[in-house]
Amino acid sequence: MISLAARDIAHSWSKYVFTGVGLGLLIGVTLSMAGIYRGMVDDAQVLLRNSHADVWVVQKDTQGPYAESSSLPDDIYRGVLGMPGVEQAANVTYFTMQVQHQGKDTRVMVVGFEPGQPGAPPSLVAGRHVTRSHYEAVADVKAGFKLGEKIRIRRNDYTIVGLSQRTVSTGGDPMVFIPLADAQAAQFQKDNDAIVSGRERTAANPAFNRPSVPGLLEAVQASQITSHNVNAVLVRVRPGWDAAQVAADIQRWKHLQAYTYANMEEIAVQKLIATSAKQIGLFLVILTLVSTAIVSFIIYTMTLGKIREIAVLKLIGTRNSTIAWMILQESIGLGLVGFIIGKTVATLWAPVFPKYVLLLPLDAVLGLLVIVLVCTLASVMAIRAALKVDPAEAIGG
Amino acid sequence: MSDTRSNDIPAIELRGLCKRYGSGDTAVDALKGVDMRIAPGEVVGLVGPSGSGKSTLLKSLGAVIDPTAGQMFLGGEAIFDGVWKVNDLRTLRRDRIGFVFQAPYLIPFLDVTDNVALLPMLAGKSNREARRRALELLEALDMGHRAKANPSQLSGGEQQRVSIARALANNPPIILADEPTAPLDSERALGVMGILNAMAQQHQTAIIVVTHDEKIIPLFKRIYHIRDGKTYEESVG
Amino acid sequence: MKSPLLKKIILPLIVLVILGGFGWVVTQQGPMAPTQVTVAPVTRQAIAASVFGIGTVEARYSYRIGPTTAGRVKQVLVDVGDSVKAGQTLAIMEGVDLDARIQAAGLAAERATASIASATAQTKEAAARLSLAQREAQRQRELAAKALVSQSSSDTRQQDLAVTTAAVEASKAALEVANKEQQRLQAEQQVLRQQQANLVLTAPVAGMITTRDAEAGTTLVAGQPVLTLADPQSYWVKARIDQSQALGLQAGQAASITLRSAPQQALAGKLTRIEPVSDSITEERIVGIAFTPVPAALSSGELAEVTLQTGQKSDALVIPNAALQQHDGQTGVWKLNGDNTLQFTPVQTGIQSLDGQVEILGGLQADENIVVYTSKTLSATSKIKVV
Repeated sequence: MISLAARDIAHSWSKYVFTGVGLGLLIGVTLSMAGIYRGMVDDAQVLLRNSHADVWVVQKDTQGPYAESSSLPDDIYRGVLGMPGVEQAANVTYFTMQVQHQGKDTRVMVVGFEPGQPGAPPSLVAGRHVTRSHYEAVADVKAGFKLGEKIRIRRNDYTIVGLSQRTVSTGGDPMVFIPLADAQAAQFQKDNDAIVSGRERTAANPAFNRPSVPGLLEAVQASQITSHNVNAVLVRVRPGWDAAQVAADIQRWKHLQAYTYANMEEIAVQKLIATSAKQIGLFLVILTLVSTAIVSFIIYTMTLGKIREIAVLKLIGTRNSTIAWMILQESIGLGLVGFIIGKTVATLWAPVFPKYVLLLPLDAVLGLLVIVLVCTLASVMAIRAALKVDPAEAIGG
Repeated sequence: MSDTRSNDIPAIELRGLCKRYGSGDTAVDALKGVDMRIAPGEVVGLVGPSGSGKSTLLKSLGAVIDPTAGQMFLGGEAIFDGVWKVNDLRTLRRDRIGFVFQAPYLIPFLDVTDNVALLPMLAGKSNREARRRALELLEALDMGHRAKANPSQLSGGEQQRVSIARALANNPPIILADEPTAPLDSERALGVMGILNAMAQQHQTAIIVVTHDEKIIPLFKRIYHIRDGKTYEESVG
Repeated sequence: MKSPLLKKIILPLIVLVILGGFGWVVTQQGPMAPTQVTVAPVTRQAIAASVFGIGTVEARYSYRIGPTTAGRVKQVLVDVGDSVKAGQTLAIMEGVDLDARIQAAGLAAERATASIASATAQTKEAAARLSLAQREAQRQRELAAKALVSQSSSDTRQQDLAVTTAAVEASKAALEVANKEQQRLQAEQQVLRQQQANLVLTAPVAGMITTRDAEAGTTLVAGQPVLTLADPQSYWVKARIDQSQALGLQAGQAASITLRSAPQQALAGKLTRIEPVSDSITEERIVGIAFTPVPAALSSGELAEVTLQTGQKSDALVIPNAALQQHDGQTGVWKLNGDNTLQFTPVQTGIQSLDGQVEILGGLQADENIVVYTSKTLSATSKIKVV
C-alpha cells in the first residue's frame, strides 16, 4: 500500500509549505513565548549562578536582596567570616538605576562587588576585569556600552573596562559591576542640590548647630552623606560543609536572615516571576488553542476540497481507517512542517528580543509532542467529515 | 476468474428490485420492481430520462444504497434478498464491481499507474504486483506511455481510459459505467465504447453503460429502457 | 507544479533547504550552539604592579585663625583667596570692657603709687621719732647711771624707744605692701594690654585665606575660627588605598595624580607619607602624596585619582585577568588542551597590573593556551568554538 497522505502532500506541496509557513510562524510565536518564560527563569537563576555564592546573608526578616530591599552594616561580613564553615564572605550592593547612553536612558542594575570575591562578574567576553578600586566598571553587553566608554553613575564617571554576557538582574536588566566602595557611595548619594539643601536644613536645626559646640554641625553633616551599608553578604561555604547548616548557624547566632541557593532560587523564581509565569502560561494555552483551531480549520478545509476524491476512494472500496489515517497523517505532516519552520524562526529571532529568550531543546521536544497531539485533535473534525461522505456521491445524479 | 464465468449463469441478475425513499405519505417509489439479466461479456445500455430511477438503479447495483425489496444475484450468488447477503459491501465494491464515471474522478495526487494500482493495493496486493497489473492494463489500453503522468496532464479521453483501466484493475465480473462518453466528442466516445466492448470480450465482464448519448446507443445489442421505476428490454439487431 | 522539472528539482531543493536550515539552526544557534571562546597563550613579559587610590587635595598645613577668648568680631580685613604675609593683621576682635578695665587698673596703680608715697612719709616720720626716742633714751640712761634721773623715768624712755622702733617696723611693712600692690596692679594692666593685643588676629605664616567663617559683629567662643589660612605650597593629596592593594607601598614611590577638574592630565607626585593607622571601617590605608611640583590654582577638597607604581618584574608569566574564573570554589583558568578539550587549572597569582595583566606564580607554563573570553560559563564538557 502506498501512503496516500505522502502523495497528497507531495502533490500539493506548495499549499502545505505556505500553510506550514503560516502555522510555523504561529508555532514560532508559541515557542518564543515558552522561551521568554524560560528566559525569565534563567534570568533569575543566572543572577544566582553568577554570584558564585552558597549562602546569601541579608537583613533579618527580609527576602532580600533581589525580591525585597535589604540593608546591612558593611562590617557584618567580618562576623560572618568567623562562623564555622565559611570560606569566603563578601559584601555586595545592588541598585537599579537609569543610565544615559548615547542620549537614551538604559535601565541597569548596578552591582557593587569586591574583586575576586563572590558577586564579582563571572566571565568576560571582552576587555579585562576591574583593577582599580574606583571608577572602573564591567558592563553587560546588553547595556550597549563599548570598551573605553564612560558610564555616569550618580556623580561619577566610570570607565567600561570589560564586557560580560548573561549578567542580568531578575528583571532582565543588564548589570554594571563597579567597585563596592563606589557603589556604597553611589547608592545613597543624592544629587548636589539635595546635598546642599540638606546641609542648609541641618544647619537651620538648632539642635545640630549649637554655637557652644564648634564642629558639631560639620560632624552631623558628614555623617549624613556617608554610607556604611550593603545589601547582602555573599558567603561561600568550605568544601565538605552543608550550606543549609551554615545558613542556619548564621541565622541563629548572627540574627540575620540567611538563604541557601535553593531558598534563593525559590524566592527568585517562584515569588518574583510567579505572576509573569502565569501570564505567559495562560498565553501559551491560548496560543495552543488558537493553533489547534487553525490547524483544524486548515485540515477541515483541505478535506472538504477532497470530498469527491474521498467519495471515489470509498466507492472503490477504500477502508474508512485508511482515509482517516490519510487525513491524520496530512494533519501531522502540516504540523511537522509548521514545527520545523517555527523552531527555525524562533531560534533566528530569539536574539532580537530585548529580553532573554531561552529555547530549551526539551521545550522543543515538548512542543513537537503538543503539536502532534494538537494536529491529531485538529484532524478529528475533518476525519468525521470525511467518514460522513457518501460513496454514492461519486455516482452522478 | 474469467474461466469460471459461463454464459449459463448471468453475471448479474435483478428480480423485482424496489427502492422506496422516505415513508408514509411522502414515500417515493424510485424503483418499482426492476428485472434485469446480463450475461458475462455482455455490454448493455441503460437508457432513461432524468427522474426515471436510472441513478437509483445504478446506486443499488453499485451497492451504495440499500434497495427496499427484490433480489440481486452476482454470478449466480444472491447478494441481496430483501437484505444484503454479504457482510462487507466495501469489499464487494472493491473486488466485484468496477466503476467508470461520467467524469473520470481520478485521484489527482496519484500518478496514472498508482490510480490504477490503488485497487489491487486496497485488495491486499503488494505494491509491485499491483503496479505490474496496472501497467498491463494501461498497455492494453494504449496508455503505457503516460504511466508516470499526473491525471491533470491527460486529455479527457486519456483520463477516461485510465478510469476504465482502474475499473478493470481487480478484474470484477461487472462494470458500471455512468455516462462514460458524455464529456467526449463522438470520435473519442466511439473509441471509449470500443475499448469497453473489447474489454468485455477479453475479460468476460458484464458492462452496464448508463447513457443518453445518441451517438453510442446504436452500438448496443441490448438496451434496457427505464421509465417510472420499471425497465423495458429492447433488443437491437 | 505541473511541470516535472519543478517537481523533480525545486521540491526536493526546498525540502533540502528547509531541513538544512533547520539542522543548522538547531545545532549552531540557540542553546545547543557551541560556546564561543577566545584563546590566548600564557606569555612571558615584564609586568608592573600599581595601586590605585582616591583622595582629596588638602593643604598639608592649615591654620584656623580665631580669638583666644570669647568676643565679637570687630573687623575682618582680608577675604577668601587673598595672599597674606606673615604677621599681617587679618581681623580685629572687639575688646568689649577691656579698655575700661585697663583704665581702672591704671587708676588703681596710681592710687597704689600714692599709697607708697604716704607709706614712705610715715616711715620717715617714724624714723625721726625713733631717732629722737633713741637719743632721749640714751640721755636718760646716762642720767640714770649717774642717778640724775630716777630709774623709773629712764625705763619710761626705754619703753618709748621700743614703741617707736615698733612703729618704724610697721611703717616699713606698710610701704612694702604699697609697693607690692603697685606691682600687682601694673601686672594686671599688662595682662589686659596683652589681651588687647590678642584681639588683633595676625597671620602666623605667609599663605592664602581659604575660608572666611565669621563676619564683623559675630560673637565667637574661644576656638571658633574667623579665617582659615593655608599655605598653597603645602597642598598635597591625601588618598585612601584599599588595604588589599596596599602591599608594597613605600615612601618615595612615584605617583601619578589626576584631578577631577582635568581628567586628561596626569600630574607628577611622590608618595611622602604612609599613615601607620588604617581606617578600620573602610579598610583603607591613608597615604599622602605630594605634588612635584605643586601646580598653580589647586582647589582644596578636589577629588584626585592617584596611581602608584609599587613594583615591577622584568620577566614574569603573565595572563589577562579576564581569563581568571571561579570554578568549584577555586580560582583558575580554563586550559585548552591539544585535542580541543577544556581543563580547569587552579593557579596562584602574583602582582596585578592596572591594565589587566596578572602574574602567574604557579599552575601554568609559558605558551599554554588558555580561554580568555567566553560567551557562557564553561564546564569541562562544554562544546566550544574558538573565535
